[in-house]
Amino acid sequence: MNPQELNDWLATARNWLQEQAPDYSGKARQGLTMDEDLALGRRWQALKSDAGYACITLPRQYDGGGGTEMQKILFEAEEKTWDLPNTYFGISLGMPVPMLLRYGSEAVKDELLPKAIRGEHIWCQLFSEPAAGSDLAALTLKATRDGDGWRLNGQKLWTSWAQYSDWGIIVTRSDPTVPKHAGLTYFYLDMKSEGVEVRTIRKLAGESEINEVFFNNVYVPDSQRMGEVGGGFKVAIETLMVERYAVSDEACGGISAERFIDIAARARIGSRPALEDGEVRRLLADTLVERQGLRSIHRRAMEAIAAGHEPGPEGAIRKLLIAKRRLLLGAAAMDLMGPDALLYDSSAAQSNDPVNAWIEAPPIRIAGGTDEILRNTIAEKVLRLPQDHRPDKGVPFNQL
Amino acid sequence: MSEHMEALVMIRDQGRRLLEQAATPERQRALLDQPGAFDRDLWDQVVELGWPGAGLAEAQGGLGLGWSAVAELHQLLGARAASLPLLQTCLAVDLLVQADADQARHSEALAAGAAIACVSLFGPGEPGLPERPLATLTDGLLSGSSTAVAFAAVADIALVYAWDSGAGSPVWVVLETSATGVARSTPNVIDNARAMAVLTFENAHCSVLSIKDPVAAARRLAAAAAVITAFEQIGGMETCLHDACDYARERRVFAQPIGAFQAIKHGLADIYADLEVARGCAIDALAKLENASPQLPAFAAAARIGATAAYEHAARENIQFHGGIGVTWESTEHFYFRRSRSLALEWGSLPYWRELLVDNAAMLTEGY
Ligand SMILES: Cc1cc2nc3c(=O)[nH]c(=O)nc-3n(C[C@H](O)[C@H](O)[C@H](O)COP(=O)(O)OP(=O)(O)OC[C@H]3O[C@@H](n4cnc5c(N)ncnc54)[C@H](O)[C@@H]3O)c2cc1C
Repeated sequence: MNPQELNDWLATARNWLQEQAPDYSGKARQGLTMDEDLALGRRWQALKSDAGYACITLPRQYDGGGGTEMQKILFEAEEKTWDLPNTYFGISLGMPVPMLLRYGSEAVKDELLPKAIRGEHIWCQLFSEPAAGSDLAALTLKATRDGDGWRLNGQKLWTSWAQYSDWGIIVTRSDPTVPKHAGLTYFYLDMKSEGVEVRTIRKLAGESEINEVFFNNVYVPDSQRMGEVGGGFKVAIETLMVERYAVSDEACGGISAERFIDIAARARIGSRPALEDGEVRRLLADTLVERQGLRSIHRRAMEAIAAGHEPGPEGAIRKLLIAKRRLLLGAAAMDLMGPDALLYDSSAAQSNDPVNAWIEAPPIRIAGGTDEILRNTIAEKVLRLPQDHRPDKGVPFNQL
Repeated sequence: MSEHMEALVMIRDQGRRLLEQAATPERQRALLDQPGAFDRDLWDQVVELGWPGAGLAEAQGGLGLGWSAVAELHQLLGARAASLPLLQTCLAVDLLVQADADQARHSEALAAGAAIACVSLFGPGEPGLPERPLATLTDGLLSGSSTAVAFAAVADIALVYAWDSGAGSPVWVVLETSATGVARSTPNVIDNARAMAVLTFENAHCSVLSIKDPVAAARRLAAAAAVITAFEQIGGMETCLHDACDYARERRVFAQPIGAFQAIKHGLADIYADLEVARGCAIDALAKLENASPQLPAFAAAARIGATAAYEHAARENIQFHGGIGVTWESTEHFYFRRSRSLALEWGSLPYWRELLVDNAAMLTEGY
């Protein structure tokens, strides 16, 4: 698509959103339970699929959009300006579905991909465990051979949306006698299989998407293996790379700089508006500079993607900075509001609420790579610094 | 490639090679040891390469490559901690062409590199633009003094933001530093390679620039200086990050490279993040400068704050990550430590730019 065609396409998409989104966003979602909101989300997903706006980069044949990475990014950025029930499908469509497209048989793809893309099915990603988060390859959930398939035993943790999931992708330990990265095998599985038990974990605040998932002798046919036996780590890394560019709004779901200015203009410190206070202005200036720099980085990344280049690991900067900024700015806005900010309306999980911006920020600094792991990524991949000391290197897993 | 691009690439590549040969640590140490020092040889060589006129319009005797060429050259200078009055040349010509035609001879000499300019804009005792500049114009004669100004030690002409006591408002004047009534002293400064001097005026003859709004011109000049200096700062912090990473890979303690320790690794990752944010701000501000956009003030302020804070961060941690060797005169790390602080003070310090940014925050989002 040339820039003109892309512009026209975006204009059409914008009009479509103008017409359709109001029935699925903002007011339309107020007061809904999570189940009701999810049902609304499924309808939104189906509507998008019919119009070619769901999974824009996936083939039309599976009810995707048959478009480009650039169209996907532009559409998602546009969608972010509405408050739509998309959160339930973020992981499902972001990683498991593209992996199924790569590894599934034609028959399986014909059957499962459209259901996922239309929001009838949700997929989850069963990677982390109690003793394996940042150190993914330390996972212990056991896979043992059983005839034409495998038996899974063990526990996963932090699995987002498992409580609603129909299918999942999972990394297991199939051979504990070799070094940790070499003994892993990757599957997809039916979450309704016998022996799968999902328990939702209450989060520090807000509605919870996180679960523990127990596997008690769960059968998975070998036809659902993705990649080689013992090649699971490679497929896991591929999964984490498949989402080339995760679209997040520039305030990371927190309050915008403009909202902070608004709050500071109304609050008073002594006899002056808080907006005149030096400390407030300094925080604001730092926030504006960071946002401005990230806008420029984002724009240039878009240009690179449009020109056919892969986005690099420098993308890690964005989440590292905006997740922490969300927390700081939320807390600073609460300070200015005074004791009113003690009141917490957990149903008001809407953006631009300082209390929500603050209290729901910590999980973002953990999920999808902690701040520390992101710094390691920048240091090792961009700056080519040595790896951390790894005493487990080359040691068989069962001798660690 | 367009003709302009070719010319730019040539100037830049020649410049890079020249700086690699000429801007050596030995040379830099010698400059730092002597107040008011200036690398005249290096200046003569870049004049040969056509640097002074690179960014200037063809009508001013330049190559017409615009501010982006000036920015690129400053990034090269910053990377080697070299100091040349290139920005001052561009700012002076920019100001002179706004004024009357009889300043043309100054512009031509500046564009050809035959004359060097300095700009006295900021005053003592405050981080930002003075409401009432220190040097005073009375009956066409200038009295008072400047603060320490970069390249004043070697400038042939000085552009001075002064107080017109008759009109009771600021005014821009230009004078030759050899004129009677102009004296200069070269105090020891934190970065002696900047050819700094304090100018003292005693009923000095000068020409008033006929600029409609001298205050607006001062603000615009400061904004242009901030944007170009941001690139010089980016060049400097790239060197700091590069040097620190090299050392972190090489230096071994406790049987491993220090770069394997996360206090170091993560510190370097944080510098990288700051650098890229600063670069983003500078690239966008440069576009606003080139297009003479009304949004320039806020974008320039963001570039100024981003680059200043990031350069100081990189320069100070670069010394830290070198350990004892980093604090010796023999190391090169202090070049950048000095330069980062000097540049932070030369064009208005951060409290001033923060005010400007916060007051104009909405400009950042117009048309976004
Ligand atoms: C809201 C949420 C949703 C999630 N969803 C999913 C999901 O759908 N599927 C899934 O598989 N997982 C999911 N996760 C799990 C997530 O990937 C892990 O929590 C994360 O990788 C961190 O692992 P951990 O919790 O075991 O912490 P740990 O790895 O134990 O980390 C503890 C602390 O040690 C630090 N640390 C760890 N390693 C290093 C190191 N090498 N250097 C320096 N510091 C280090 C960490 O940064 C952290 O501060 C989710 C997590 C959250 C919070």
